[in-house]
Amino acid sequence: MVGRKLLVLFGSQTGTAQDTAERIGREAKRRHFHCRVEALDSYEVANLINEPLVVFVCATTGQGDPPDNMKMFWRFLFRKNLPPSSLCQLDYAVVGLGDSSYPKFNFIAKKLHKRVLQLGGNPLLPVVLGDDQHDLGPDAVIDPWLLALWDKILTLYPLPPGLEIISPDVRLPPKYTLHYLAEDSSHPGGGQLQPTAPRAVPSELHPFAARMVSNQRVTAESHFQDVRLIEFDISGSGITFSAGDVVMIQPQNRPEDVQQFCQLLRLDPNRCFVLKPTEPGTPLPALLPQPCTIRYLVTHYLDISCVPRRSFFELLSYFSTNELEREKLEELSSAQGQEELYSYCNRPRRTTLEVLWDFPHTTCAVPPDYLLDLIPLIRPRAFSIASSLLAHPDRIQILMAVVRYKTRLSKPRCGLCSTWLASLNPDQGDVRVPLWVKKGGMKFPADPDTPVIMIGPGTGVAPFRAVIQERVAQGRRGNCLFFGCRQKTKDFYCQAEWEELVTKGFLTLFTAFSRDQEEKVYVQHRIRENRRLVWELLSSRSAHIYLAG
Amino acid sequence: MGEYGVTPGQHVAIIWDSSSPAEALKDLVEKIQALVGADSRVAVENVNQLFQSAHRESSFDVILSGVVPGSTAQHSAEVLAEIARILKPGGRVLLKELVVTESGNNSRIKTAAKLPVALTLSGLVEVKELQKEVLTPEEAQSVQEHLGYQGNDLLIVQVEGKKPNFEVGSSSQLKLSFAKQPGPSGKPSLDPATAKLWTLSANDMNDEEMDLLDSDELLDSEDLRKPDPSSLRAPSCKELGKKKACKNCTCGLAEELEQKKNSQPKSACGNCYLGDAFRCASCPYLGMPAFKPGEKILLKENQLHDA
Repeated sequence: MVGRKLLVLFGSQTGTAQDTAERIGREAKRRHFHCRVEALDSYEVANLINEPLVVFVCATTGQGDPPDNMKMFWRFLFRKNLPPSSLCQLDYAVVGLGDSSYPKFNFIAKKLHKRVLQLGGNPLLPVVLGDDQHDLGPDAVIDPWLLALWDKILTLYPLPPGLEIISPDVRLPPKYTLHYLAEDSSHPGGGQLQPTAPRAVPSELHPFAARMVSNQRVTAESHFQDVRLIEFDISGSGITFSAGDVVMIQPQNRPEDVQQFCQLLRLDPNRCFVLKPTEPGTPLPALLPQPCTIRYLVTHYLDISCVPRRSFFELLSYFSTNELEREKLEELSSAQGQEELYSYCNRPRRTTLEVLWDFPHTTCAVPPDYLLDLIPLIRPRAFSIASSLLAHPDRIQILMAVVRYKTRLSKPRCGLCSTWLASLNPDQGDVRVPLWVKKGGMKFPADPDTPVIMIGPGTGVAPFRAVIQERVAQGRRGNCLFFGCRQKTKDFYCQAEWEELVTKGFLTLFTAFSRDQEEKVYVQHRIRENRRLVWELLSSRSAHIYLAG
Repeated sequence: MGEYGVTPGQHVAIIWDSSSPAEALKDLVEKIQALVGADSRVAVENVNQLFQSAHRESSFDVILSGVVPGSTAQHSAEVLAEIARILKPGGRVLLKELVVTESGNNSRIKTAAKLPVALTLSGLVEVKELQKEVLTPEEAQSVQEHLGYQGNDLLIVQVEGKKPNFEVGSSSQLKLSFAKQPGPSGKPSLDPATAKLWTLSANDMNDEEMDLLDSDELLDSEDLRKPDPSSLRAPSCKELGKKKACKNCTCGLAEELEQKKNSQPKSACGNCYLGDAFRCASCPYLGMPAFKPGEKILLKENQLHDA
């Protein structure tokens, strides 16, 4: 097995690239490769010149941007001072994940492929461009490409004599083993977040447990949509931000769902456990306290409300004791079964918990060791910060619409984070929410005289509320806002605030209430009506224009 | 190989013009047809009709033009380009043309030097002058009649050219390898100086002042293309069978559906109690979770309506 090394490096924003990378890692193990799967920014890039074989799996996010966990690597890769033959020992391949409805479709994968080539790398195959717009998702092109890749790789590194590819029927070992502590051992208050050391700026690995100060509904009770203005106290956190920045919030599962999950898997929520890695050197999961309770794991860590991926069905099929269920699970994880998987799971947005309910014989046979392989970590949700520190020091406010919609499933779909936040009532006790701040994409003019035109229908107005508060505090008057919603009496949030600013001469406001009259009126109609003003601001005053929503 | 280098089975085009004597043309055509065999692989074209015929590109192995004895054909740049287009890659053209030996004459006739150049400019390669002939008196006569040229510095030149061996629009990857001698593992060995530079750079992660390349410059027009929308569709993505009767239904489906609505639904497959993964497309319980064993489910009125 000496020399059979494969490195899979990924850059993932929503977890899809990571899932694909882990799949490639499993396929490599079945072919007797010693394989590591790591995020690009966690990898020691100095070693790249010595790697013989690397598969890069990179998503493109935002406006042709690299995901957060490869931003450092990306800046390194394009340094002019890197010698052109640096990667001459490297055989590589690139998997791209993107969405062709965006203009910069898979730009990161395309650029990465060319840059590594430029640095002397040897590509094993052309770059494969997974596309969310395909009816069957990125796997539609990745599946056949992977077959070709393994062919190529096994030609370079043929299987050692006497060894076969480990059959897909054989289950691979879990990443961690779960060891229960004795039932009567005292356990920590498992479930409480430890306060961060004051010097560290809060981040994904060290969120700040912010106290919720208020949680007000800003749409009329009779309006179909529940929109909240929520305020958090961030004093003592070390967090600073400017208008346009984004707050990341780590949500948790509902107690009813946690209970149902534990019942289905026959887990005792109160038991304590520790995790041990199966392969020495594998780091333990960062956000899990050790020891930990089952309740904490299922509430804060396991994303049981996410739509399960193909790899979930593949792994689940190994535990099945029921032939009917196993066959169905195998079918849903096969290449031929992807259409059915999309129809059963992705299109109606069926949750992991709902799928487990549908496969009762298999679910009760899932060993706890495999829980972290089966179900991913809950992902944080991003919200534009809707307030300025200059107007509300030590506070973060967000404007949040509760996500709720119907698919063909009888139970309506609910946003995990928005539903959780909406359910919290700061008047009933100390409510804490883990959060941290990320830089936003919008930049505002440094020159105080430059006017700003903002177009923000609905909750898109959130970052502009922050901008306006900041600029008003700085005495800047050139603020023009186009706001649109459905009805003046129902969802015209922040009405009082805007009207006060208009009276004081700080804000020029144009509103479009789409359903207050027979014909639909939207922000673009208002822009057109006021095109002379808009043009004058742009051409003679060099106004900056922003759009969100 | 037969005359003109034509072999059996080839597709040949013979281009003639008004100056070619009819008998001689017929002779030539028969000769070529005999060479290539039956199945009408010989196309005979008047040069003025050539463009109208719009032959498919890359369809001929050999093109003969102006080779009919007695012909005083002149090949314009457009004609040469068309010849190059309808030739197969690697195909051959053989043509005869009148040339003048001295330049400076105010005439349409090319000089001997200009003719091969004209072929090259049309995209033909391996252009060779095969032979030069002095005109016979009959030919000189013919020239006077057709071209109105009176001079005795004329020659007939036979020239051959080939279409390059690749198709228009094809691409091939350049092998730009600056590889050094391969090391024992079969891979090029890494220059220690290069390794040092990389390592130094990697250990200096403070990249506030680092000079970065513009990554957009790596992309070409191929990269900016989007996938063809038809390639994104799955072979059969049907909606789960929801039957809807038309407003003025005459076939009886409307009544059938009305009836279904009012009666307690019966299972067609017997799998209703299992989850959606096992239910058939017309199952009335679609959208609901699997039933607990022994549980009896009564569908609420609003759940029976078509979505």
